[in-house]
Amino acid sequence: MSAIGAYCVSVDRGICLNASMPGKCATCAEVCPYGVYALDPVTGEMTIKNYNACVGCRICAEFCPVNAIRINPAESEYISRYPWTFGVIEEIHHKAQTGEYLLRGFGTQGPTPNFDMITVVPSQIASEPPRDKYREECDMEVLIGEDTCDKPIRLKLPFVWPAMSFGALSKEAKMALAIGAAMTGTAANTGEGGVLPEEIWFSRGYTNEGFSHKEWEPGGYLVVQWSTGRWGVSVDYVNSGDAVEVKIGQGAKPGMGGHLLGAKVTEDVARVRGIPVGSDALSPCRYYDVQTLEDMKHMVAFLRDVTGYQYPIFFKLGPSRPYADVAACIEAGADAISIDGLVGGTGCSPDIVTQGVGIPTIACIPPAVQALKDYGVHRKVKLIALGGIRSGLDSFKALAMGADAVGFGSAAEVALGCRVCYACHKGNCPYGITSQKPELRARLDPLEGGQRLANFLHATAEEIKILTMLSGHNRIADLSPEDLRAMDLNTAALTGLKLAGYDRPLPIWEMGNGKPSGNGKDGK
Amino acid sequence: MEKINAKGKDLKEINQAIKACINGRRVVISGVSQLHGLAAGLKYGDVLIDGSAGDYLGVLNDGAAIEVAEDTGNYAADNMTGGTLIVRGNAGYGAGQYCYGGRLVVYGDAGDFTGTMNKGATIIVAGDIGDEAGTYMLDGELIVAGNAGKNFANFLIHGDVYIGGDWENLGHNTKVEPLSQEDASKLENYFRSYRIETVPANFKKITAASEKPFYK
Repeated sequence: MSAIGAYCVSVDRGICLNASMPGKCATCAEVCPYGVYALDPVTGEMTIKNYNACVGCRICAEFCPVNAIRINPAESEYISRYPWTFGVIEEIHHKAQTGEYLLRGFGTQGPTPNFDMITVVPSQIASEPPRDKYREECDMEVLIGEDTCDKPIRLKLPFVWPAMSFGALSKEAKMALAIGAAMTGTAANTGEGGVLPEEIWFSRGYTNEGFSHKEWEPGGYLVVQWSTGRWGVSVDYVNSGDAVEVKIGQGAKPGMGGHLLGAKVTEDVARVRGIPVGSDALSPCRYYDVQTLEDMKHMVAFLRDVTGYQYPIFFKLGPSRPYADVAACIEAGADAISIDGLVGGTGCSPDIVTQGVGIPTIACIPPAVQALKDYGVHRKVKLIALGGIRSGLDSFKALAMGADAVGFGSAAEVALGCRVCYACHKGNCPYGITSQKPELRARLDPLEGGQRLANFLHATAEEIKILTMLSGHNRIADLSPEDLRAMDLNTAALTGLKLAGYDRPLPIWEMGNGKPSGNGKDGK
Repeated sequence: MEKINAKGKDLKEINQAIKACINGRRVVISGVSQLHGLAAGLKYGDVLIDGSAGDYLGVLNDGAAIEVAEDTGNYAADNMTGGTLIVRGNAGYGAGQYCYGGRLVVYGDAGDFTGTMNKGATIIVAGDIGDEAGTYMLDGELIVAGNAGKNFANFLIHGDVYIGGDWENLGHNTKVEPLSQEDASKLENYFRSYRIETVPANFKKITAASEKPFYK
């Protein structure tokens, strides 16, 4: 699905500064990532040159000093002309003219099965009575790697920042995420683009290399990612964090490696990644140094060995065959498994892959939990749900379905100021989040960003606490699918949750004989 | 010299034993072909493997000198950032992948996907090399005295590839260049210091055709 032609751009020329004083203001042309506005270099007049390119991010409206811009969705198009909407037509024309497919950033657009058709079941008289959110405690800690390593991770809140690399994100955004993790006792993640020195101490709450002044209490953790591109990876790198995450895939482009286009590979990024400036950093889609599950077990074994058996090993999966994939991660020796759903975002991906590949998050969790249960490790090997989780309500639903923690990637960017313009790959982010340009990065203050992220997590944690306690629990680990009901047949069918009203799982789930089958090999 | 027999011991015990005794002494280990990830992540030291080694030998090596008297399994010197790995026999599949630095010298043959995503190491193979060697190399050197298989240096981005023998076919984004005087003396130095009997005159140099083979 393309956003082309989906919005009506209008400028009130009665109040537009440029309309009365050409040349005086060109803010909209400067900030628009898609060149919707054009400034005539001779007359200084502003025109809406390319209104079809608007994606509805409303950055121009936010930056307009006199509030002269209105962006309205052209909704009726999708009813009257579907499936041959203007966007579809423009996309075909684009390919016909250029021979190129569309690349873009961020996540899936349009409706996909999500948490919204699930409702939370409160406690009344028959079940455990509700707890008092204002006067009682709620245990939200998550302990990872308790039995397998010397230094387990103890998340104060059930949150992680998913892997987003330096390169895809600016240094300021990475620092803000590290500070946000430190202020909430949660975990930041290097992503696959090497580690920034500041990340190492900021994420633990320290302002300096010497770990002498702890500024941000309680201090968090840093997960270092081990991926298929292995950018900036050395023995020091794998020992610089509190856990190593083996990346298998991600939600936005499962089956493909990370894409960092040369435009964003500045001197700093090139140094941290150990590659030439300006070269495209395309991670391979698979590990060249793993051919079998046995190899993967050996990889986990040497990662534990080089980190001195101190740190937990995470795995990160894209949304494919959650049951078989989670089972393989358990076999390989994971302490925690992140599974990223269809809606998961990215800095750059072919549009059709972000749009059309992968299993929705709500449908990934139940098979993943089933695999953990079948191996007898549910709530022991931790499950982290990612992919389109926006709030405490979404988080609560994921936790009740059986996840131990959740991650916010896209939501974290929005908390930093992002307005979702889908142009992360271009490197011109007006908020300095996904740009490497100094003038744009200067707009993002890591301290303010870190505080905003921490605020977002604290508010979200409070939301989870409200829902946990009103449903009769005082530990998030006690949540279960019984605390949820599906509100439509599709959601009940995808998740196995009880259907509201019917108050049982759909017969297809009750008759389901055991575990989901198939690992995709030999067409099974 | 310190001798360790790995028989009946696991990876953790052996790697800890190596770390405990590499201070200034050469460590000789035998009976390790069943262990995968041996001598991982060392920053210094001198280790000789008496016999053959398993997979992932010297993974994440960051400065140690490791030598194998016979063959290695798959993925030898994986993700090396410094030091050397010398294999007197043959190397299996995917030796010298993801390396940022250091040297890998294989006196026998090396398998498929050797030197994949090399980002700065020098990889020298005195014998033949398998298919897809040097795939997506971003920097460093790959020197093959014998012949190469299919898709040699596939999607080369940066770095230099030299070959003394023939290849089945060259990979995408490659071009053959004549050897410069500088290249020849560099190769000669390598051959002399590692006692490899060949002469630079036979060698061809392969470099990247374009810096941006994927997206314009």
